[in-house]
Amino acid sequence: MTAGDKQPRRRDWIDKLQSFDRRWIFLVMGLAIVIPLLFPLNLPFKPSPMVKALYDTVENLDESDVVYLSLDLDPAATPELEPFFRAVVVHLKRQNVRIAIGSTWYQAPPIMERWIREVIEPQQARQGEGGYEGLSDRPYRKNIDYVNLGFREGRDVAINKLGSDLRGLFDNRAADRTPLDAIDLMKGRRRLGDFDLVILVSAGAPGAKEFVQQVQTRYNIPMVASVTSIMTTDMSPYYQADQLLGLAGGMLAAAEYEQLVGKPGLGAKAADVLNVGHLVVILAILFGNFVFFVGRRQGRRV
Amino acid sequence: MADLVSTADLLGYWLGIFLTICILSFLYKDNPFYKFAEHLFVGVSIGYVIIQQYYSVLEPKLVDRLGDGSWLALVPLALVCMLFAKLASRRLAWVARFPLAFVVGLYAGFAIKTVQSDLGAQMAESMKDLDEIKVNLNSASEEELSRLPGISEPVAKAIIERRAQVPLASVDEVAGLPGLNQTQRDILGEERGALIGLDARAATSDGERDWFGIFSDLLLLCGLLASLIYFYFSIEQKGAVGKVSRFGVWILMIGFGASFGYAVQGRLALAIGRAMDVLGKDKDPLLAERIHGPLVGCLSIAIIVIGIALWERRARRGRVD
Repeated sequence: MTAGDKQPRRRDWIDKLQSFDRRWIFLVMGLAIVIPLLFPLNLPFKPSPMVKALYDTVENLDESDVVYLSLDLDPAATPELEPFFRAVVVHLKRQNVRIAIGSTWYQAPPIMERWIREVIEPQQARQGEGGYEGLSDRPYRKNIDYVNLGFREGRDVAINKLGSDLRGLFDNRAADRTPLDAIDLMKGRRRLGDFDLVILVSAGAPGAKEFVQQVQTRYNIPMVASVTSIMTTDMSPYYQADQLLGLAGGMLAAAEYEQLVGKPGLGAKAADVLNVGHLVVILAILFGNFVFFVGRRQGRRV
Repeated sequence: MADLVSTADLLGYWLGIFLTICILSFLYKDNPFYKFAEHLFVGVSIGYVIIQQYYSVLEPKLVDRLGDGSWLALVPLALVCMLFAKLASRRLAWVARFPLAFVVGLYAGFAIKTVQSDLGAQMAESMKDLDEIKVNLNSASEEELSRLPGISEPVAKAIIERRAQVPLASVDEVAGLPGLNQTQRDILGEERGALIGLDARAATSDGERDWFGIFSDLLLLCGLLASLIYFYFSIEQKGAVGKVSRFGVWILMIGFGASFGYAVQGRLALAIGRAMDVLGKDKDPLLAERIHGPLVGCLSIAIIVIGIALWERRARRGRVD
């Protein structure tokens, strides 16, 4: 075989790689997600300082405290935010901290109702069950241990109003129309600053960023946030400047929080898959670059 | 749990799995199953928005208030009506400018507040002292101690108790303090490290410097200045300015790279969420057993594959004819 024969064969090989059907990558990614879900690898991970700071902030709450939990999210964000919500509610409940829940996203009410039904109202963690070593939590009762304030439209305007007059925004009543004056945990709480901590579970705008911009800086309210992965780089400067006392970004951070709480859940199950998925993405990037550079080099030679 | 699942709920779960596979079928190519799921999603979303907005906005803020005799509620109603004035006559289009001006003015006011939270607080953080001093375990407050890697509140209390009797001679002694449990000792062991761990941030005497912290602060300052110079267009970016600007570009690229990494993680999380739903991994085991997610998923794939094959065959025949 002469050098002249070799050159076209190599070009064929590179052409084939360059016209590689991307649907094969989708298939590989699909398998990389499904297989670790069926056969967990239990890869290790360690809580980051931002997540640990969030955990410590919640850990420092007292029994008499009341937190405002803002659920600003839609169904698309639940895979990333639900694991954190479940873990933080167990954490709050086992410390007997009472909870007021509200939202500025119209997509959130059905999710709030489901999470209240599945996570807040029933007992979630029993000491000694399934390897859980923390304190047991207890079932929470509506309008006694928690109150659902519901959703209010208004984006930044609504968030600003939460800072100055929360009762006015929610027309002085809970989502089930119970007057807030009749709910013990809301007594003396007229604005966000009257709560001991604000926990933001946020999937975009309006959300954690707007809460910091409109309310936190003005009233100096203690806040922590769990946000989607894509928001993490935008939000981490607020954590570094102490505007947020803790930050959990995405599914992996939720898994870290679950680890700190001592009750692995959805996040821990997903952590393995994320690691394998990231590996596939890295390999796909390397493969794409390899094909590109080899193709360019061959193109120059021809 | 499983007994509590009604037939309607069960059908809802199955429909969810089928629609998930319909949407994912777009990865093969645009097809009628994808279109059906997409149109259904848009239609249901619009219906949901209308109902939700009525019960969360119009009813409490308008209907109830008018019922209570609060006529001020007519002002926002009038502004909304003014938005639609041009539907009555094109000559009245100018009327819509008033509510729009109101909204623009309102949001401009809110945007000004971000100067304090974004510009002010972030600038203050960028201007902090570059000299990083290690936290002295023998004199720091409980709050300062709790911020150190591996030191939780109980560990901080144990340190304070111990130093009240005898000052700590080295950071090594922390893990050996009496009263700590094995988990706390393990965490302390994991968080040791001369570069960014406990050893880098804590000392047992005053005035010791955290050199990696100083380097980190300097890098932040240089990166910030270089990135700002990249966006400074009044000087031609060549020579020394060009080199600094180039460094700024690298810093920006690292920032964008981190954002891209998180974006990938977010998209993967969405895929994992759907996979968990289909496989029943996010549900109570009894409920998951009742739903038979994997079986329904396989059946959905079979229906969609056959459907797409028939649709493609029909399309080919249509082209031949």
